[in-house]
Amino acid sequence: MNTIPFDPGCVPGPEMARLADPRTIGIAIKRAKRPILVVGAEILKDDLIDKAIEIGKKGTPIAATAHSMKTFVEKGYTDNVFMCNMHPLANNFTRNDWMGFDGKGNYDVIVFLGVTYYWSSQMMSAVKNFATNPLRMAVSIDRYYHPNAKMSFENIRDTEQFKSMVDEVIAQL
Amino acid sequence: MAKEGLFKIGGLENVQINIGKIVSEEDEWEPMGPVPCPEVEDMRHWYMKLLDRYPPFYAPYCDMCCLCTFGKCDLTGNKKGACGLDMRGQQARFVLIACCMGASAHCGHGRHMLHSLIDMFGADVPVDLGTQINVEAPIMRTVIGVKPKVLGDFAKAFDYVEEQIAQMMDATHTGQEGSYLDYEAKAYHVGMLDSLAKEASDMIQMIAFKYPMGADVPLVDIGVGCVDTDKPIILVIGHNVIPSVAIIDYLDEHDMRDLVEVAGICCTAIDNTRYDFKAKVVGAIGRQLRFVRSGVADVIVVDEQCIRADIVEQAQRVQAPLIATNNKALYGLPERSGDPAEEIIEDLASGKMAAVAILDPEKVAEVVPKLAMIMKNKRKNIRTLPSDAEQKEYAARCYDCGNCVLACPQGLPIDRAMQELAAGNPEPMSILFDKCVGCGRCEQVCKWEIPIVDVMQKTALKQVKSEKFKMRVGRGPVLDTEIRNVGAPLVLGTIPGVIAVVGCGNYPDGTEDVYKIAREFALRKYIVVATGCGAMDMALYRNEEGETIYEEFPGGFEAGGVVNIGSCVSNAHIHGAAIKVASIFARRNLRGNMDEIADYILNRVGAAGVAWGAMSQKAASIGTGVEVWGVPVVVGPHGAKYRHAHIGRKDDLTKWDVYNMRDGSKVRCEPAPEHLILGAETVEEAIPLLARLCMRPVDNPSGRQIKLTHYMDLSMKYLGAYHDDWPIFVRSETDLPLARKEEYLKVLEKDYGWKIDWDSKKILEGPLRKQDPQFDPTNLERLLKGAE
Ligand code: SF4
Ligand code: SF4
Ligand code: SF4
Repeated sequence: MNTIPFDPGCVPGPEMARLADPRTIGIAIKRAKRPILVVGAEILKDDLIDKAIEIGKKGTPIAATAHSMKTFVEKGYTDNVFMCNMHPLANNFTRNDWMGFDGKGNYDVIVFLGVTYYWSSQMMSAVKNFATNPLRMAVSIDRYYHPNAKMSFENIRDTEQFKSMVDEVIAQL
Repeated sequence: MAKEGLFKIGGLENVQINIGKIVSEEDEWEPMGPVPCPEVEDMRHWYMKLLDRYPPFYAPYCDMCCLCTFGKCDLTGNKKGACGLDMRGQQARFVLIACCMGASAHCGHGRHMLHSLIDMFGADVPVDLGTQINVEAPIMRTVIGVKPKVLGDFAKAFDYVEEQIAQMMDATHTGQEGSYLDYEAKAYHVGMLDSLAKEASDMIQMIAFKYPMGADVPLVDIGVGCVDTDKPIILVIGHNVIPSVAIIDYLDEHDMRDLVEVAGICCTAIDNTRYDFKAKVVGAIGRQLRFVRSGVADVIVVDEQCIRADIVEQAQRVQAPLIATNNKALYGLPERSGDPAEEIIEDLASGKMAAVAILDPEKVAEVVPKLAMIMKNKRKNIRTLPSDAEQKEYAARCYDCGNCVLACPQGLPIDRAMQELAAGNPEPMSILFDKCVGCGRCEQVCKWEIPIVDVMQKTALKQVKSEKFKMRVGRGPVLDTEIRNVGAPLVLGTIPGVIAVVGCGNYPDGTEDVYKIAREFALRKYIVVATGCGAMDMALYRNEEGETIYEEFPGGFEAGGVVNIGSCVSNAHIHGAAIKVASIFARRNLRGNMDEIADYILNRVGAAGVAWGAMSQKAASIGTGVEVWGVPVVVGPHGAKYRHAHIGRKDDLTKWDVYNMRDGSKVRCEPAPEHLILGAETVEEAIPLLARLCMRPVDNPSGRQIKLTHYMDLSMKYLGAYHDDWPIFVRSETDLPLARKEEYLKVLEKDYGWKIDWDSKKILEGPLRKQDPQFDPTNLERLLKGAE
């Protein structure tokens, strides 16, 4: 287990993500009051979209950024999927007066899956630095070590291993 | 600084006293407005208006500050450093620093050229842009209130910008500005300065070198395959065209022009083709390392900006002598301007010296062509890319550690591609070629010293050599006559928008992205304008008929035009076009009137910029300079590293109140444009977003209908769905896309609770506001009737 960011230059400072196993992350999401899954363009690779749908079906709403919505539509799953752009979404995570997609309030655990590394890294940095009171937590279940998250996997090269880790997260939900 | 013709008497600002030469010379064209040569505080009301509606969002790239020896300070969680500055302030300060760097590069470049051009031609070269341009320098007229008549007049623009940049950079010192909003306001100020510096920089080279203008400029060759490798090849890299022009002149004067290739990378390449249609464009910044490594160039000449810092080493690697020609990039080389040309040639040709600096363009011109002829002969047996056997051996060396993937800013799967190559399949590696930004970071970490960049290039060699395309020559400013034709449809919305493709070649998924964006909007009859890397990169693809984008679409500033405006500094003419809409179509006074003109553009000119490969600090100042004039910008995902975005909030409708100038009433408008700068992860996301950002409060019903039709179509095409807030842009049934009006009315009734009269198919209740043909929007109180 090591904490070299997927882009090794992306060392933000003293607060870097705790490496966590899938089970721990799954439990954290399960315990969250208002979790949300944020997916981006990489969700369209390696059938990851099916994993996102499984998470959605377990009750976690999905923010579909980039052009990921198209594939949710094609897959016939749009129940709790909300299409949005990442920058305004991340901005909303840092505000206490945003009422969420359902009008019931902001989210407490923000789970990133299938997003271009440096793009989601920046968004998690915004959450880490500015969504602090009350504390909102960015969690990565992507195949990279994401130092700006609160919890993250390490860099995982093997796609099958990565997918089974995501399965383990889902099993906890 | 003193403002010409403007004095402050006992607190009474803007009392004009017409004395002295300046006013008598210049006063005849327009009365002076309230903000000529503004200090930041003079325009702060406008900057703060933008920041109130589009508040900054910060995504720190680093949680620390190490700018002074109190530090390093850990600012995580918006903590304050030892100096009292918090994380927001630090991010905004960095934005300001980046903008100052970018604006300094443009201004320094322009000032340097002005000195050279005055040396060459004298200060009295008239500003003559032909019969179709009367508003010759719209930014300069607006910002400093000066109408330049001769080359020397542009010094006034540089004087002003230089002083202001020093003031703004001063504010970044420890213990100065403490408010993130004021840092942002200062960044806007610098963005404005940047636009002025760029305009002046491009104007001076245009008038001195008599660059062509208008829609009918010719097509020139672009692409590696266009470079004739049978001839000696001079490769020029950078942005400052003066040494290249001297080389081209020398070749002409000595009847050598057809014997030697002058090929360029980056903006010098674009500007060369404005001077000499025979000059070749290799491509944008991403091609630099790879083209140099291909060893095709016999002599490399660098000027300024966007040059690799290790260019001397790279040139040495392929045994091509290098000449540095600009004091901003000297690479530790000896300056040889004072030495006889023959001596310098001998030293470089013999290999005694690998590179020299020559700051006198005339001397550069004496040395380089002759040197290229000699080197062509000497270098003919030099092989730079790996042989087949070496390629095999390199691939076999790879032990699949994955370090290169981590080092790659694009995260490209080089490791897997190398394994495939070792197994005899070069295709995965060749596919990476277009996605690679040519940075060389992968090679830095490969413990087995595999020259990854060369290995990759070899796998793509066939494709690279076949790159022969056409680019329309950069044409400089939009003509006044073109503005007369498109002013009304642009403001009413029936031309749905101007899409400005600007920025560097740091694309997330290859150069084709910019081609896709430009073509999609050109086919939909938007006006597409482009500069710099974007203008070059979009030329590298063909449609089904085999035409490049510049062959497929006309070059005029018209619906469906694809307009190469020119190099990076030329992109000021894009702001210039929007300003000219205010001046020529709406007859607004420009002089000293920046806030009014930017307000006009924000509310009326449906334009959006896309800096898809935003990379350098210049791209930061360019983007900020576009925003401050009221034009939103979308950046690619790497652009998130600029640390900030300016995000409007559609859920806070109070932010969208706009005054109606006719009666001073406040009108609650739709969020148009919704954001001023934000990123997108993919081109499929960016395209509908750009269409959305082209909406403006003043669109008339047919204009809004056209804009909404494209926005909805593009959302469906690329996203498979509509954003659920689309009805916010509907003011009445006439705004709805015609072909699906009934379907949309049903959706509005069923899903949004709007009341519809089905007999007349009219909307009775629901929209935020009604479309009002008399609506004359402004965000500026001073423009309201009866205002002081
Ligand atoms: S400038 Fe301020 S925040 Fe930065 S290191 Fe110095 S004291 Fe710390
Ligand atoms: S040169 Fe290309 S492959 Fe290598 S690190 Fe840079 S972008 Fe990646
Ligand atoms: S760094 Fe070198 S050895 Fe390691 S995977 Fe990349 S090419 Fe192979």
